[in-house]
Amino acid sequence: MLKTLLACTIAVSALLAAGPASAETKDKKIALSNNYAGNSWRQAMLKSWDKVTKKAVADGIVAAADPFTTSENQVTEQAAQIQNLILQGYNAIVINAASPDALNGVVKQACDAGIIVVSFDGIVKEPCAWRIAVDFQAMGASEVEYLAKKMPEGGNVLEIRGLAGVFVDDEISKGINDTLAKYPQFKNVGNVHGNWAQEVAQKEVAGILPSLPEIKAVVTQGGDGYGAAQAFAAAGRPTPLIIMGNRQDELQWWKEQKDKNGYETMSVSIAPGVSTLAFWVAQMILDGKEVPKDLTVPFLRIDQDTLEANLANTEKGGVANVEYTAEDAAKVVAGK
Amino acid sequence: MSRITSFLRARPWAWSFIAAAAVWLATVAYTGGQGAGEILTAALSFATFAIIVGLGQMMVISTGPGNVDLSIPATITLSGVVAMKVMDTDSSRMLIGIVAALACALAVGVFNFVLIRLLRIPPIIATLSSSFLVLSTAISYGRGIRIKPPPPLADFATARIAGIPIAAVFVLLITVLIAFALRRTFYGRSVLAVGQNERAAWLAGISVDRTRFITYVLSALLSGVCGIVLSGFSGGAALNMGEDFLLSSIAVVVIGGTSVAGGRASVPGIWGAALFMFLLVTMLNTFGASAGLRFMLTGLIIITVIVLAGGEKESR
Repeated sequence: MLKTLLACTIAVSALLAAGPASAETKDKKIALSNNYAGNSWRQAMLKSWDKVTKKAVADGIVAAADPFTTSENQVTEQAAQIQNLILQGYNAIVINAASPDALNGVVKQACDAGIIVVSFDGIVKEPCAWRIAVDFQAMGASEVEYLAKKMPEGGNVLEIRGLAGVFVDDEISKGINDTLAKYPQFKNVGNVHGNWAQEVAQKEVAGILPSLPEIKAVVTQGGDGYGAAQAFAAAGRPTPLIIMGNRQDELQWWKEQKDKNGYETMSVSIAPGVSTLAFWVAQMILDGKEVPKDLTVPFLRIDQDTLEANLANTEKGGVANVEYTAEDAAKVVAGK
Repeated sequence: MSRITSFLRARPWAWSFIAAAAVWLATVAYTGGQGAGEILTAALSFATFAIIVGLGQMMVISTGPGNVDLSIPATITLSGVVAMKVMDTDSSRMLIGIVAALACALAVGVFNFVLIRLLRIPPIIATLSSSFLVLSTAISYGRGIRIKPPPPLADFATARIAGIPIAAVFVLLITVLIAFALRRTFYGRSVLAVGQNERAAWLAGISVDRTRFITYVLSALLSGVCGIVLSGFSGGAALNMGEDFLLSSIAVVVIGGTSVAGGRASVPGIWGAALFMFLLVTMLNTFGASAGLRFMLTGLIIITVIVLAGGEKESR
């Protein structure tokens, strides 16, 4: 029974996909398969998706754009979810994947059923899918380049890493340390894993801090800067230059310091609105446009002079965000 | 020598303090004495939270094999989020916030017991599934918004006198109360009796259900307290603030010398184990060990401590 159903769905989807490439996507259905919702970044990502796609549906650009989130951030669960989405006859599936490799099988199934698969943030390696990736190494490098310009005399640097064993953590850290090697006046005197969470970062930094010499700067991965600041304050140490990660609490803290004593730093992360970029890319592909399989999203950087504007646009507890329009997506696809 | 072994044999919790002291000494030796006091202060500050939830987990585990509370992280998050949102940075609303957060925690505890007793779901599944519901509630209620704690709460959670965190003194009070309850009250004795042999306890006239009910509610309430204090300590509640406590709440109980099979609780061991866990990570961070090595050593050292503490028990 299930097999017949699957066969039918595949046949129907294949027919749909094989149809002439028209400029009309108003009958097409797009699904979002998301593996995790338990932090502020993911919440903002889902909210952006909701806002942009609801309008797209109301404007008759697509027929549906439904978000689905798995509860336990597990590969098996997400694989089952994508299988359901295939059966439900979506024309495109936008994925934030729990694993770059483990979903390849089910992604291939979707492709074989004629479904467009666009992965972003957590990308999948299956060649038939599109990938909207972030150049995390460049993000790490940009932090050190900023430090090199800001404090040419150099000094001791503390590195706060993300979740151990995750690809993103390795990439950002590699970018940071490769660039640090270019500036011998900086010394990486310690690193801790803050797991992108303020509480964990605070705990880990407070633990290692007593054993460290004076710290001039803290390089981070986002979601950990505020916790680091709290740990330095609690230890009664002078506040170093802490790179922030676009979270509202981090920006708020930065603003308070800036007003108090002219504190200067920068903040960099990926905008959660990248989900909307993925949506438009999926829509463009459904529309028959030529889109390269590998795209790179620009990261969102906030500097001393753009702090106030970004803080005003970021809701309490959220993440500084940019939502993409169809035109923005076209620009990213065209390589700007 | 034999006096030392007999001392250790009667006090399985002593191992956790010995282990904590050993890693602290190793760290201080590595840094050449730098920051010795500050490390202890930091350890006390952060161990506080693991101790609060560890005490609740200890009571649950002591009520017999199979009893464990996996909803602790979700309850911490929910109560933290509720407390911060109700208080809304206003000092005069602190009391309402605390009451609201504890009421939510209480509800979680009651709900856990209902799942376990009335629906006869094994505790491990019941508390895990209730934690999904609780976390979802926290997500939809809080929407990931970080609201700062009112200043008095933040002061309470972060203040220290002569290097000793006030929160640690507060938790010491809770610890003494629980130790007293275990030794001197009918409820405390019932917990151990039920944990040792449910049927014998029932035949002796102890209400097994009532004992377990109070215990699950107590564990949830302590998680609620942890959520409130932790929010005050770290400048607001976050959706992933409880994540760290799933394993650590169980680890401090086991390393502290409480019997996993139930029936024997070790209150001081919770303190030793919580300090040990923090100091161990500090030591490995200070040595600059890579993440992989750090995880491996953490696992190996924890196994060693448990084997040492457990081995002594066998020879009794």
